[in-house]
Amino acid sequence: MEFDWSQDDIQHRRDIREFLQQELPGNWEEMSQHGPGGDSQAAFSRTFCGRMAEKGWLTQHWPNAYGGRDCEPWRHSIVGEEMWAVGEPRGSQYMNVNWIGPAIMNYGSAAQKQFHLPKISAGQVLWCQGFSEPEAGSDLAALRTRAETIDDHYVINGSKIWTSYCNHADFIFLLVRTDPHSSRQRGISVLLVPMDTPGIDVHEIPSVVGERYFHEVFFSNVTVPTSVLLGEEHNGWEVVSHALQFERIGAARYARAAVTLDKLAAVASERGMLEDPIIVDRLGEARALCEAARVLVYKVIDIRAKDRPPTADTQLARVLSTTCDNAIGRLALEIFGPESLEYASFADTNFRLAMTAGIAVGATEVQLNLIASRFLDLPKD
Amino acid sequence: MDFELNEDQQAILEAIDRLLSQHAGPARAIELNRQGLYDDELHSALDDAGFSTIATDLATADGPAGLEAALLAEAIARAGGVVASAAQILVAPTIREEAIEGPIALCTVDHLATPVPIRFGAHARTLMVLGIDEVLIIPLTRGEMEPVRSSFGYPMGRLANAKRSVELRATGERLGLQAAQAMTNWWRLSLAVEAVGTMEAALQHTVAYVKQRRQFGRAIGSFQAIQHRLSLCAIQVEASRWLAREAAYHGAQTEAVAAAAAFALHAADQIFTETHQMSGAIGFTCEFDLHVWSMRLLALRQELKGVSGARRALVEARWGALVCANA
Repeated sequence: MEFDWSQDDIQHRRDIREFLQQELPGNWEEMSQHGPGGDSQAAFSRTFCGRMAEKGWLTQHWPNAYGGRDCEPWRHSIVGEEMWAVGEPRGSQYMNVNWIGPAIMNYGSAAQKQFHLPKISAGQVLWCQGFSEPEAGSDLAALRTRAETIDDHYVINGSKIWTSYCNHADFIFLLVRTDPHSSRQRGISVLLVPMDTPGIDVHEIPSVVGERYFHEVFFSNVTVPTSVLLGEEHNGWEVVSHALQFERIGAARYARAAVTLDKLAAVASERGMLEDPIIVDRLGEARALCEAARVLVYKVIDIRAKDRPPTADTQLARVLSTTCDNAIGRLALEIFGPESLEYASFADTNFRLAMTAGIAVGATEVQLNLIASRFLDLPKD
Repeated sequence: MDFELNEDQQAILEAIDRLLSQHAGPARAIELNRQGLYDDELHSALDDAGFSTIATDLATADGPAGLEAALLAEAIARAGGVVASAAQILVAPTIREEAIEGPIALCTVDHLATPVPIRFGAHARTLMVLGIDEVLIIPLTRGEMEPVRSSFGYPMGRLANAKRSVELRATGERLGLQAAQAMTNWWRLSLAVEAVGTMEAALQHTVAYVKQRRQFGRAIGSFQAIQHRLSLCAIQVEASRWLAREAAYHGAQTEAVAAAAAFALHAADQIFTETHQMSGAIGFTCEFDLHVWSMRLLALRQELKGVSGARRALVEARWGALVCANA
């Protein structure tokens, strides 16, 4: 047991910071206020990820054979921390490199690998994930969007909801029911569908979280060749479970929260609020939370680095990251006071980006269920 | 970065667990607590096995072996050992190279002038006193400290005569500012480490209980109302564990220690509340082991100004210049 970064890793973090300083435009703060799914951030991600790819950093944790450098997950975690700390200039492409690309590596056909992986590792493609449906949120296995096989095509009908990034996405990682007689986890498949396929309609769902944050995606007789199937037909649940096993900690929310907190402390100081012992206490509590979330995420990365099967440590880390994000979002409101009520102010932006943490990538209650069964071995009934 | 024990650490933990299985455990803690006694036998066994000096014995050029010492203190707390192990294993060796005679009790200088119950105070041979810019190491003579009855899981004692505080301070060996900073950090770290072992044992005990306790025709641990709260407790314990171990590994740096203690001592209150709530009335009885650990959690929160002290230290360490600007 030891908790040191290697000299190479320390240097890599310096390099990434320097790179960010060079690459982020002067109006980055304004540009990133709508989060990774915002219009300007999505557009910027295409050039930014291209630059990262040129440096060899975008998919450095991937195998050499797929355009990576075989680096340890620790190296990729440094990239994740530094990117999230400044508001994620990779936009939605963090998903591509974290799990969509690896899922294609694990389950894809030779043609799918050849087609998709170079695009992802070059930073030139945007993806979204089509999972939740109006009647299948936390209970994802209840999904009903169906794909009927007609000759050598799938005809997709149904809808997805709460979909982020789909307004800019080139492809959707789509979960559908391919066996109409199946229920629950059986009979589900993953399709890699181009978003410009006729019959796909994207509608924004206005929300208090921000502009273009949530969408509903409708599929009306969307016809795609069966070659878009990822993995075996009807075996999509395994594909997506495997792909997402570490993704619940894929976004380094604690890193962004820690940077926000540093800013809050500076503001509190400027305004003389550090004379208030309650504010000092809240800042201390929040900083401890950031550190606690970080160390639990590191525990998961350690498991991944050793190529061990995933454990409930992922859920532990996820819940605490959520708690941390929310706590700092709320503290921002408290420290900025009424100023935070203005849209796109610092506190407002941070609060809005934090507020969905307990729902996204699986509700906190689902994570707690998994901890109860897998970590504590509590009985079902 | 490696979160798994190496072979040496594994061997150390196996050895301490063997020793603790012979010399510690909740039944022994209950019996000793009932009589207000210190576990001299366990203390000697730890000394004889070389565990008390592990921080200095395994020290490297970077400093004492804080992580190995922390792993031991965590294990002893988990076993409910009635010994001042954290002071002996984690704090003392990092303050002075020459051994300090144990048992050792830790207190702050104001606790001499205004005596309060101090963990292991009545049985200590040495009192380590933390002042603002100095540490006093005071050998205690018989009768200097008086036992104090307490429900909080540790044998307690306080200075018998407050008027003696000035004389006592004069008799102590004085170490300077550097020692005071080191003692603050290692003491605060020891609170986090002890809280981790103690919380883990309390939580394990409760998880076992809710699996077998049946009400409404089913194990109460199958109710989601219980499961979610225990899951939240597990998160608190695990995060506390890794923060404390990481801080110990890095030699108890002020900011890391303050974060670890702020988190663990806050978690301690949650673990106390939830483990008792889920254990029902039996949880309050002496025949049920939970109190061995649960009550101690509240005692640990009393030292070094507990959660608020750790949070303030954390803020000062991270944003010191900002805090000073407002002072």
